[in-house]
Amino acid sequence: MNPQPPAASYQIHCRMTPEVAALERLCQVVRVRGFRIAKMAMENVGDSLDIALTLEGNRPIGMLQSQLEKLQTVVVVELKDQALSVVERFSAG
Amino acid sequence: MNGAQHILEAFHRHHIDTVFGYPGGCIMPLYDALVDDAVVEHVLCRHEQACALAADGYARASGRTGVCIATSGPGATNLITGVANAHRDSVPMVVITGQVPSALIGTDAFQETDMLGMALGIVKHSYLVEQADELPGVLEEAFKLASEGRPGPVWIDIPKDILLAEVGPAPAVHGTPGVDEVVDASRVMAMLKASQRPLLYSGGGISLAHAEDAFRAFTEASGLPGVTTLKGLGNAGKRAPNDLGMLGMHGSRAANRAVAECDLLLVIGARLDDRATGKLEAFAPSARTIHIDADAAEFNKLRPADLTLMGDLTTILRALTGEVQTSPLAISDWQQTCRHWHTTGGFHAADNDDPYAPIHGPAFIRQLSRITADDTVIACDVGQHQMWVAQYYDFDHPRHHLTSGGLGTMGFGLPAAIGAQFANRASTVINVTGDGSFMMNAQELATIRRYQLPVKIIILDNQCLGMVRQQQELFYNNRESQIDLDDNPDFLTMAKAFDIHALHINRSDQVRRGIETLLAYQGPMLLHVAIAREENVWPIVKPGAGNTDMIDETHRPRSNKEYVA
Ligand SMILES: Cc1ncc(C[n+]2csc(CCOP(=O)(O)OP(=O)(O)O)c2C)c(N)n1
Repeated sequence: MNPQPPAASYQIHCRMTPEVAALERLCQVVRVRGFRIAKMAMENVGDSLDIALTLEGNRPIGMLQSQLEKLQTVVVVELKDQALSVVERFSAG
Repeated sequence: MNGAQHILEAFHRHHIDTVFGYPGGCIMPLYDALVDDAVVEHVLCRHEQACALAADGYARASGRTGVCIATSGPGATNLITGVANAHRDSVPMVVITGQVPSALIGTDAFQETDMLGMALGIVKHSYLVEQADELPGVLEEAFKLASEGRPGPVWIDIPKDILLAEVGPAPAVHGTPGVDEVVDASRVMAMLKASQRPLLYSGGGISLAHAEDAFRAFTEASGLPGVTTLKGLGNAGKRAPNDLGMLGMHGSRAANRAVAECDLLLVIGARLDDRATGKLEAFAPSARTIHIDADAAEFNKLRPADLTLMGDLTTILRALTGEVQTSPLAISDWQQTCRHWHTTGGFHAADNDDPYAPIHGPAFIRQLSRITADDTVIACDVGQHQMWVAQYYDFDHPRHHLTSGGLGTMGFGLPAAIGAQFANRASTVINVTGDGSFMMNAQELATIRRYQLPVKIIILDNQCLGMVRQQQELFYNNRESQIDLDDNPDFLTMAKAFDIHALHINRSDQVRRGIETLLAYQGPMLLHVAIAREENVWPIVKPGAGNTDMIDETHRPRSNKEYVA
């Protein structure tokens, strides 16, 4: 099989209201829109959930950002400047 | 007031007078409260999937929010397809399900399913109500969310104890003062003015935004030639001189050619779906793109836009109309070219002069379109018949065409027709279905009989899953696999079992009479139309190919090898 194109890595910071299933919603959108969570940290800050994510994927990150912004529980999504690095990944075989 | 009564209060506040549901254990407190309610009509469908699809049809036909109700576990899981259908087509809907009592959640209780988790991907938003006092606020928010911006289904899962608990008063509702949007239409105008061959590409977003009138005023004032998506059919009205109809996989040669040759594409209320665009690299290759929508997430998702405008479509369209009225576009050559393409490459089904000839699906739909009144509502199912309706029926308004566009849900048509009939008891509502699709929600004949709905049903019966057969013929070397339905039940007897009048036709000379009889009949009626098994939808673009690579009947392969995927 051909190697997949290298996946870019991004850091995203997301603030959400701590409603039921807030994290599940976030993770689901990330997965469905074609990204993989490489690292995740979550913290309760006041009335919000602060989530720092490192994501990998081949699709435009802006597309994920606008989908995350549509979630009712999301207050803000910040994309740290640009793709941090390019992660080489090859499919099995 | 208990939680269940609060739900009814919310219905009253939001002018919900019709809901579609099916009772069961955990939702029983709501059904108990319904006994004393004189305002809300509860429609008992015969399957929860049909409840959701009927609520969807109600919402599409009326422009209001549809409501469906079910119990926990199997009741709620049965709703899933209908809710997903509404989600994919951005239909405003509030879904209310009972859940096992709070203390039993997570214990694998009888009829416990995690609906919040299960429905995450098919809702605009969802709630599991954890505290009784949250309920009134959640209900308010849910109705607001379902219909504002880009609409969609909002699911509220409510544990039984909360339905029974005493709940404080509903929060006071303060309408947020509308802010007048100021639209800067000058950049759009500059691009339109600079273009020689501008083309309007409109979709279902027009009616979702209730922007039909504004859209029509803009098309008339601008004179822009236009193509529409499946869900946008009717946007321009049936007599619009510059409308080229549907583009895409089963679109007309005229529409696809106009897209291929335009130099500016003005996309309004459409999301550039793959069935409409075909292979993206070959789509409108020489055009700049302006994208106008209520949902910013649609911009640059599939095709980069040169200019985007997000906001209320009516406001934006009015601003654009003002501009083109002041400074008309000089595009008469392009208009003429498009009209010529439409004359030579639009959909024109010939009537068959041989009275004994078998009925031809497209010619039947063309005849139906000629005979029915302009305000007839057609609720389609999914398959070849759906595409023939899209190609050969002239819609005067997008709310007259109920079709499952995004999800393509077989079984949508009959419950959607029921919903549309409840939305307007006086209108003529016709479900055009196939023999496969009809059987997916045929139990709803019982709902039609119970409420004496004058819904008309037309089954275009080709004794097979026609759309799948067609693709097997064209793209799988004619290797038919699991598409035969030649052991269908006798549909006339079936209708009779539900006390529904039925008629069978199979010859060309019976078409007009058959349709007229159906329309004249006072109550519900089924018209069974036998059509040829081998009929195909033409033209067709192979999935993944560019829209200019259309295959039509003249290219029907003897050996289909050429088209093996
Ligand atoms: C619920 C569901 N299952 C399967 C499909 C796949 N599918 C699309 S069209 C089609 C055939 C439809 O047959 P019929 O209703 O008889 O219509 P026809 O194409 O013959 O006009 C099938 C199986 C679908 N769209 N929906």
